[in-house]
Amino acid sequence: MATPGAGGNLQAKLVLLGDMGAGKSSLVLRFVKGQFFDYQESTIGAAFLTQTVAVNDVTVKFEIWDTAGQERYHSLAPMYYRGAAAAIVVYDITNTESFTRAKNWVRELQRQGNPNLVIALAGNKADLASKRKVETEEGQSYADENGLFFIETSAKSAQNVNEVFYEIARKLPKAAPAPQPQGLNLNAQGRTQPKRSCCSTS
Amino acid sequence: MCSAELFLNATCVASSEELKIYKKRSFEAQRQSTQHAAMASAESSGEQASSGPTGTYEVVYIKDNVSVHPSPLANERISGRLKLIKQGQSVFLTWIPYNQSGIADDSGLILSPSEGAPVTPPQAPGRKDKDRNLYTIRAVSLSEIRSIRRHTPTLGWNYIIVVLTTGLAFPPLYFHNGGVKEFLGVLKEHALLVRSAEDANVYLVNDIQDPLQRSLTSLDLPEAVTPVRELEPLEEERVSAQEGPDEGGSALQPLVVSRRGPEGGVLDRLPQKHVDPLRDASIHILTQFSKVTRFVRDATTQLSGQNDRPLARSGMLGLPERAPVPPPVAPAVQRQPSAGLGEALPGRGAGDAGAGSRMEEDKDEPELSSLGAFELVDGLEEESPALVWGRPRPPPLGAEEWATFLDSEGRVSDPAGLRKRVFHGGVEPDMRREVWKFLLGYFPYESTRAERKALQANKAKEYEVLKGQWQSVSEDQAKKFAKFRERKSRVDKDVVRTDRTLPFYAGDDNPNVEALRSILITYSFYNFDLGYCQGMSDLLSPILYVMDDEVDAFWCFAALMERMASNFHRDQNGMHSQLLSLRKLVKLLDPPLDDYFRQVDCLNYFFCFRWILIHFKREFEYDNVLRLWEVLWSRYLSDHFHLYVCVAVLKRHRRKIMDEQMEFDTLLKFINDLSGRIELEGTLRDAEALCRYAGDAGVACMPPAPPPTDETQIEGPEG
Ligand SMILES: Nc1nc2c(ncn2[C@@H]2O[C@H](COP(=O)(O)OP(=O)(O)OP(=O)(O)O)[C@@H](O)[C@H]2O)c(=O)[nH]1
Ligand SMILES: [Mg+2]
Repeated sequence: MATPGAGGNLQAKLVLLGDMGAGKSSLVLRFVKGQFFDYQESTIGAAFLTQTVAVNDVTVKFEIWDTAGQERYHSLAPMYYRGAAAAIVVYDITNTESFTRAKNWVRELQRQGNPNLVIALAGNKADLASKRKVETEEGQSYADENGLFFIETSAKSAQNVNEVFYEIARKLPKAAPAPQPQGLNLNAQGRTQPKRSCCSTS
Repeated sequence: MCSAELFLNATCVASSEELKIYKKRSFEAQRQSTQHAAMASAESSGEQASSGPTGTYEVVYIKDNVSVHPSPLANERISGRLKLIKQGQSVFLTWIPYNQSGIADDSGLILSPSEGAPVTPPQAPGRKDKDRNLYTIRAVSLSEIRSIRRHTPTLGWNYIIVVLTTGLAFPPLYFHNGGVKEFLGVLKEHALLVRSAEDANVYLVNDIQDPLQRSLTSLDLPEAVTPVRELEPLEEERVSAQEGPDEGGSALQPLVVSRRGPEGGVLDRLPQKHVDPLRDASIHILTQFSKVTRFVRDATTQLSGQNDRPLARSGMLGLPERAPVPPPVAPAVQRQPSAGLGEALPGRGAGDAGAGSRMEEDKDEPELSSLGAFELVDGLEEESPALVWGRPRPPPLGAEEWATFLDSEGRVSDPAGLRKRVFHGGVEPDMRREVWKFLLGYFPYESTRAERKALQANKAKEYEVLKGQWQSVSEDQAKKFAKFRERKSRVDKDVVRTDRTLPFYAGDDNPNVEALRSILITYSFYNFDLGYCQGMSDLLSPILYVMDDEVDAFWCFAALMERMASNFHRDQNGMHSQLLSLRKLVKLLDPPLDDYFRQVDCLNYFFCFRWILIHFKREFEYDNVLRLWEVLWSRYLSDHFHLYVCVAVLKRHRRKIMDEQMEFDTLLKFINDLSGRIELEGTLRDAEALCRYAGDAGVACMPPAPPPTDETQIEGPEG
């Protein structure tokens, strides 16, 4: 859930799901550190990173869970998407299997029954146009049918990477009005209890 | 950083280029080149080298023609080479017999053209390799040496007798070419050498007069710490233990006793069950000496006749009574959990562990401090080097010493001894190619050189058949074979991002990347039910790097997977049971940390998932991964030693974890970010200490034998 942090800012748990090699870690790395590696190692278990963005008057601190893509580790995924405010489901536009798996992830997330979960569908590796196997329209129409936000990205060229996260940030407050334990306004300064004082982002 | 790279390059060259000519070289040449490589790296990176990669060491003294005389018969003399080897701050003494009796240098050690293993030249009558190897002195740390006695008989050669702190002595070492004085001279540069007041021919090694210093030194040694109480039971029982005043009262016993206390023989008073496993260092020596007690007696009488006082202090007079020898490889894991150390571990302070009262803990601290122990004890945490166990790890197993493990037909005559040696010191880079095959179970220890050659030939054929199975799948066939396509594509995705920054796997069209791919696809056909799973490429990469041969690497990998397959089972049973074991171990060895993890709801230990799945492959520099793995594969103290390594690392950071109130997310990030920042040797020492301390209680935490891979573990939709 997106929860109000200190200073009226949001903390939002975000999870990345998608087939192995689709580029989940690369997208996160590009977003958080502005880096890209051709030889990005596979993710074993999961990784956790944070990054804060400002949208309008609110800053959103993303607590990002980057998961391992292989189907074999599927049983661990719920641990990471449980309680998430947002998910980015990633596929590789040069690989139809990864698109199939993306759809499976979307179905699974929708079954979790959090109507406020913001789901983005990212067709990654857009820079590899010559090897494209999944057309933009396919991704777009699937997203439309399922009420997802769709965008094609490239972690390599940085195309649309920040956009995914900003768009999610914009959708968050609307989609997931944060529980306001003390009845406080989102923008009220410094009165809400941060989840952890050491990690407050204000 | 710089030295690590240099070192890596050096090993790289050794394993890819040199291996091709390796077979034609003599051992000595091989060893020298290794030494040069190590030294070159040491020189060029200055000071860093000594604290740098684990393999860096330096031979500070070599003396040829130093002999053992098992009998008065001249033809029974065993000639060998005496060495002092320096690694980091520690110096080790070794004496390795030549393979060929009576030949004055070890150029007699030649390599078989077929497999690079030493071939024993014709034997001198009446003395087999095995007997010769009985006398081998394998890397004894100077800190384990009590004294050296010099003998200068008017007739015959000068000799020395090395007496260990445990009271045991090695057989006399005769210097056929003279040079005892020079030896002592070199020794003096590396250890405190003091002439005994009673006998000018006895040199006391490391004899530190200052009592505080002495207790500090003895702290390094396992014997120094007496057990205060039985290992704490798990929580349920702990509650009731709180009420017992007896348990609480025992905390007042001295925590640390100097081994060389004036009353002498603290060791002798310890019940045997405490002493045996902890005096592990001497077990090997003891075993040898059970067969050569004559020497011990000689040495003892000679010395005790002339040197009553120092002997009394070192407890040597008790020797004959203590002579009963523990089993050669005392399976330490089977012993009582109460032995030693406990109180030296953070979180196991008497107060904190059992009765749990703050008062008691406070009471203990000054006592510890007054013994100079507290700082050392606390050193287990955070970055400071851990000194709880403190025995320096010996240098890695080298070619000469490896040769002593083989009988004339190439069988490993003492597998347990080998595993123990590897556990403690690892293997020199050049020797891994050979030794790993045994450690992994590809080569049976009892196989002869000829049998192994045949085995390899068969395995090469078998591999070709397996590889042919998928290579012969035609394009049309593949179109209708989704499972195959998926499997291949998954391997393809991973091999191109496995250790590509390493020179061995770098660059486009690298044949090693291709070999990695072939092996993994072949394996997924060989073990079709298991298939390919992420993490496997990490496990294979170091094996292929070391083997530098596709066939050998495949079979070594397959052997490793025999042990690790359950890590990759679909239902994660292998991982779950190990994570559960880890949880039990932390509960056992660090109850406050366990409590903390419970509070923050982290008892699933998933933050250690990567550590366990691929055995710390991502956590250390490559050469340290190699070292860690051979230690794990030695399976000397435990088949699950990696779990103790997990505890050791967690313990080093427990304070930070708890102070910063890390929760699952921050904890996972913290743990992942430790990658590349864990000091290996100290961690291994801690893990060893923890494992020995845990004893039977630790064994009880271990995961059950994993179920074999069956249909329930086969892949689902992924193929
Ligand atoms: N050309 C191109 N390559 C990319 C892009 N994103 C990722 N890659 C490459 O694709 C491979 C896999 O990327 P990762 O980010 O590791 O994929 P992942 O989804 O995290 O994979 P797992 O951790 O195995 O689940 C790496 O070699 C990346 O360099 C991209 O936008 N364009
Ligand atoms: Mg990843």
